[in-house]
Amino acid sequence: MFPRSTFLPAAALLAFCVSASHAAHVPLTPADLEFFESKVRPLLVERCLDCHSAEKKVKGGLRLDTREGWAKGGDSGPAIVPGDPGKSMLVTAVRYTDRDLQMPEKNKLPDAEIAILEKWVQMGAPDPRLGETATKQQTGLTLEEGRKFWAYAAPKQSPPPPVQDATWPRTGLDHFVLSKIEAAGLQPAPDARAEALVRRLHFNLVGLPPTPEEIDAFSEASQNSPQAALEKAVDQLLASPRFGETWGRRWLDVARFAESSGGGRTLLFKDAWRYRDYVIESFNADVPFDRFIREQLAGDLLPAATPADARRQLTATAFLALGPTNYEEQDKQQLRFDVIDEQLDTLGRAFLGQTIGCARCHDHKFDPIPQRDYYAMAGILASTRTLFDYEENVARWIAAPLPSDGPAEAALRDHEGKVAALQKDLSGAKAELAALSKAVTQEAVKPGLPVAPSELPGIVIDDAQAKLVGEWKHSTFVRSYVGAGYVHDLNAGKGEKTITFTPTLPKADRYEVRLAYAHASGRASNVRVNVLHADGEDTVFVDQTQAPPIDGRFVSLGKYRFEKEGAGYVLISNDDANGFVTVDALQFISESEAAKKDQSADAANPLRADVAQRVKKLEAQLKQLNKEGPVRETAMAVREDDQIADAQIRVRGVEKQRGETVPRGFLRVALTGETKLPSSQSGRRELADWIAAADNPLTARVFVNRVWTWLFGAGLVRTVDNFGTTGELPSHPELLDDLAVQFVAQGWSTKRLVREIVLSRTWQQSVRSESAEDPENRLFTHANRRRLDAEQIRDTLLSVSGQLKLDYGGLNIIQAGEINPNDFSAQNVEYGYVFADTRRSVYTPAFRNKRLELFEVFDFSDINASMGQRNVSTVAPQALFFLNHPFVLEQARAAAERGLGSNGDDAGRISTAFRRTLGRLPTSAELEKCRRFLGPNPTIETWAQFHQTLFACVDFRYLD
Amino acid sequence: MNPLLTTRRRALRTLGCGFGYLALAGLAAQEKARASINPLAPRVPHLKPRAKRIIFLFMAGGVSQVDSFDHKPRLIQDDGKMMDFADLRSLAKTGKSPQQRVMRPLWNFAQHGESGLWASDLFPEMAKHMDDLCVIRSMHTEGIAHGPATLFLHTGSTTFIRPSMGAWVNYGLGTENENLPGFVSLSPALGNGGPRNYGNAFLPAIYQGTAMGRAGIPATEAAIRNLKPARSPEEARRQFDLLRELNVEQLTQKPGESELEAVINSYELAWRMQTTAPEVLDVGSESPETLALYGVGDKETDNFGRQCLLARRMCEAGVRFVQVNYGDNTNNPAWDQHSNLKKHGEHAKAVDKPVAGLLADLKQRGLLEDTIVWWGGEFGRTPYAEKNGTGRDHNPAGFSVWLAGGGFKPGITFGETDEFGHHAIIDKVHMHDLHATLLHALGLDHEKLTYNYAGRDFRLTDVYGNLVKEVLV
Repeated sequence: MFPRSTFLPAAALLAFCVSASHAAHVPLTPADLEFFESKVRPLLVERCLDCHSAEKKVKGGLRLDTREGWAKGGDSGPAIVPGDPGKSMLVTAVRYTDRDLQMPEKNKLPDAEIAILEKWVQMGAPDPRLGETATKQQTGLTLEEGRKFWAYAAPKQSPPPPVQDATWPRTGLDHFVLSKIEAAGLQPAPDARAEALVRRLHFNLVGLPPTPEEIDAFSEASQNSPQAALEKAVDQLLASPRFGETWGRRWLDVARFAESSGGGRTLLFKDAWRYRDYVIESFNADVPFDRFIREQLAGDLLPAATPADARRQLTATAFLALGPTNYEEQDKQQLRFDVIDEQLDTLGRAFLGQTIGCARCHDHKFDPIPQRDYYAMAGILASTRTLFDYEENVARWIAAPLPSDGPAEAALRDHEGKVAALQKDLSGAKAELAALSKAVTQEAVKPGLPVAPSELPGIVIDDAQAKLVGEWKHSTFVRSYVGAGYVHDLNAGKGEKTITFTPTLPKADRYEVRLAYAHASGRASNVRVNVLHADGEDTVFVDQTQAPPIDGRFVSLGKYRFEKEGAGYVLISNDDANGFVTVDALQFISESEAAKKDQSADAANPLRADVAQRVKKLEAQLKQLNKEGPVRETAMAVREDDQIADAQIRVRGVEKQRGETVPRGFLRVALTGETKLPSSQSGRRELADWIAAADNPLTARVFVNRVWTWLFGAGLVRTVDNFGTTGELPSHPELLDDLAVQFVAQGWSTKRLVREIVLSRTWQQSVRSESAEDPENRLFTHANRRRLDAEQIRDTLLSVSGQLKLDYGGLNIIQAGEINPNDFSAQNVEYGYVFADTRRSVYTPAFRNKRLELFEVFDFSDINASMGQRNVSTVAPQALFFLNHPFVLEQARAAAERGLGSNGDDAGRISTAFRRTLGRLPTSAELEKCRRFLGPNPTIETWAQFHQTLFACVDFRYLD
Repeated sequence: MNPLLTTRRRALRTLGCGFGYLALAGLAAQEKARASINPLAPRVPHLKPRAKRIIFLFMAGGVSQVDSFDHKPRLIQDDGKMMDFADLRSLAKTGKSPQQRVMRPLWNFAQHGESGLWASDLFPEMAKHMDDLCVIRSMHTEGIAHGPATLFLHTGSTTFIRPSMGAWVNYGLGTENENLPGFVSLSPALGNGGPRNYGNAFLPAIYQGTAMGRAGIPATEAAIRNLKPARSPEEARRQFDLLRELNVEQLTQKPGESELEAVINSYELAWRMQTTAPEVLDVGSESPETLALYGVGDKETDNFGRQCLLARRMCEAGVRFVQVNYGDNTNNPAWDQHSNLKKHGEHAKAVDKPVAGLLADLKQRGLLEDTIVWWGGEFGRTPYAEKNGTGRDHNPAGFSVWLAGGGFKPGITFGETDEFGHHAIIDKVHMHDLHATLLHALGLDHEKLTYNYAGRDFRLTDVYGNLVKEVLV
């Protein structure tokens, strides 16, 4: 966010050209000096210098203890324009008229003191206080220094170092690891047992436990050749669609994937699942990681060979749109920059391991990222459109139509043409019907005669029951009124008068809201009406120069949803009205009642009935056509903005404090050549190219390190999202570089990298206790004991119970297909959501304001921000979850049923349960304890308790 | 000077090491936290605390200050006049602010108690406690819409993902009763920030708030999740014994693994919680007098009364931070009277007696001395009618909150808004300042309560916040 509360905003940047030299040449008269010394100096000392002087603090970079200080000004430029109080920020600040610029911070000055300062500035701000203002600014490394820091220097490949025990290494990687272990005088751990290894492999690659059959097959094959057995298993798992689901899920953490915006007013991201599927598919298809980057940042700008490619690429840009955007921010310029901030922060962490966000307000304090670079990149994103509209009260994202393949696309276009034609017919017929309805009903209800509210359908509120503000004149002159007459505003006091109708509605429903007014000459054509309904607030304008179209009395204000006895209201104002404003009554008709009323009108007039019939028919046809016809799919996406422009620096990160304009560009510290961006495009494509370039020193290292972390539980750089100077140094810099260089040279293939690491001997070590010499296992002398994460826990429970559904991809939010995501009631889908499906956890609806409880309890990452590594906690609520949560009880019961369905005795069933749940046989002691618990004739209930206990035990949660 | 940097530099100096080490220290500390040390163990605060715990009574939607605690005779004098006001919503949207119609308070103000503090008859019961209250009338905050402002109130940011204040307090002080969560939010809403308002963001998950119940669900059904045993006591016992036996067996295969021991400890704690927590949450043992004091049993006040009573019981039992929410799940939460301001009366009715009862009860039990009670919303309301209608729009530029007990000066007001009650102008207290001051009263220095994440230290108050010493005893 760009904070709003601050001291020195944009106002006086205008004054930049009237600078110090001007102030310096004002000669001081004795009278000037007298005024300054007697009035101004004491005031400045008393009120300002605590925060704006070299002796105390220099807030906002502004000093007021010398003439030079205010002339040069603070972060936003000069504080005083001599002779012009109106343009002097200092004066604006003490006047307390601009909420973003109020000084002194806590208290407004007495009026007399404000007057002194105004007068002083008016006089030309005579000031005898000479002296230099040295500005000192803490910054991080310079670009030059920065390029020497390991992460910003190009990775270098080095030959595998020699080792003493040449029999141990199986791959080049092992040499790097072993040489460090040996140098520390330590020993690598023995290889893991086949049983442990196959379990580790399955969870790491496909996120599910191996079946007893898979364990047996692997163990057997291992006896002949462990490495060959592993190779075979790895290749099988890499080819499984479960691989993409598991590894895609890891990327989704990094991409802060979610299916609603969360926060203030949460909106449902109806199409976000397409991005999720895109990610899963990309990992399954082993899309080169550099292409994966380009697609996510600039897929809409890349050439697409086929419509399928175009779809994929467009879908991929959801990466930029999925943030926890605060769509209801009222200052839309602020909102645009909030979005840009979030995008920069996310892409910086995700691809570059950089905390770019730190350079939003000032040059990065530690890393070589000047504020200029931040705004150079911000300019690219400011020239990109992420929000559909910059005006709407509650903004929304872009739902981009997706192209289809040849025949399908032709069918879509054909269908869209038909729909358009039908819609045209329909609107024609509707206009006809409206005209007829007017004629008919006027006849039917005898126009010109008053009607009682009780004779009208729906809820009718007469003006007499409304809250009137200002002077309204009661009248019965135009006789077609409802109730006791109507009121008009005397065509006077524009902007001072309102009428508020606050209905008490008997049920929650959609209502058509109608306003009755008295039509005559001299009426306003622009009467403003505000409707506050359950989903927000709308403003409509009524043209009262026209006769009311419905029954000659009413005009429809639209259909809105209201809660039962909710806070809704309708407010009519005479603000800016260009004639008489009249208000007679308000009618709320629930949709069902409207249907009834039409029937009675049709009975009264056959012609109207005909047209009504035609409207109905056309509507039915349209509905049918839409139902039968192909649906144009949409994806969350970004596109180029209409305006391509460089961004201005936001001083101190405050959106309204505009500074220098910076040409669009990238992080210079990680840049080798010149940046040249097209003036007709945002530069997003070039940004993607720069990030995905083989010679970007950060990108490949950051990703390789992520893969390592996902496989070992700890990275070579353990601050996986921070490769800056505040991050951790790599434990094995040569190994990291070697892996990165090879990764790029071999086509950025994730699967190849995973295979290489998993087949190393380092990865195959067994778990053992930490040694005193290397308590954090930075040397990888053994495997880390790892916790199952939230998804693995859930997927394993479902897999053991036999309930897991392996449906691949697709929308998984019940109801989401039927709702309009731009209808705010869509949030009720989230709030009321009951998580009931048994698909893999990667498909569990990822709402930001309503998470699956299991995910909350078991450290599923905060899906509001890019997160390369999750927290791990061990807390009582996790234990309570295993002891008492219905989901666990259900799975235990299902597992018991599944166990009882198979042949064999109780001991065999216990063993199978152990193998399915823990991937091993029970020890004899465990077997004995379980038998004792079950007793001679265990019921299904006892079996369920037994299974639940296996889910709850320590070994279930840990991976050796 | 950026205080964050000073802290950091100090930290670096103390450690005598480079940056890398600091990040590492964080990691190592986290590793430890996940193992045997109880991260919720009570910790020594930075400062001598004035209060041990805090109850926050959240009035979602924004109570009108000029109808409750900020007495402005000008509004009566100029009622109905069109005047110039800097309307923040209009300014944010259009850069301009049209004239607005002054609207008088709908409730009458009077001075109360020995302190003579002003309060309106919107809250007649609270008004009896004015001598106990420290009313800050010069609050201002960020965010014009509910979502941003509510998030700002709870996390110190309208947009960024930041830990909630309760999570910070939990992190800073730990809990005094390990059988109960350290931070509880009673009946929180799903909207306007939802779980982020009691979330941990980047702090370890253990510090997150525990939601009990949810807005829209009666307080009688509010419970700690999964606490109710799924089986009969005998069966549960038998099953738990098997679990213990299997865990011990598995641990003997892997001796000395503190991580595994931590899991086993978490089960022991969960087992104890199943018996202790329900006792705390059962208000059945309260005397009829106490129930009546909170308005429990009366239709209008029963729900909020129960919540306030639960808050007291949890505080007694050692919960550090209890938030009691008066709100709902809509986009226009309870107090949001854009029209029909009279409706404030209904909400006042629902909270007035319970809140007054809570104050009286804490006082008679001697708990008020070291318990902060904080009453307030995310912002206030405009002194003029919204769109010339019958209600008031949001106003983050000036509003009132009150504090009681826990080292806050009783019977005073602090700060002032302009003569219409619109913008705070004298002794302004920003929400960051209130956060800093509340933390201070709890013994935490807001500049020292930091957490290293993504390469830098974060605080609840970002780089802002000033302690308001004047309101503390």
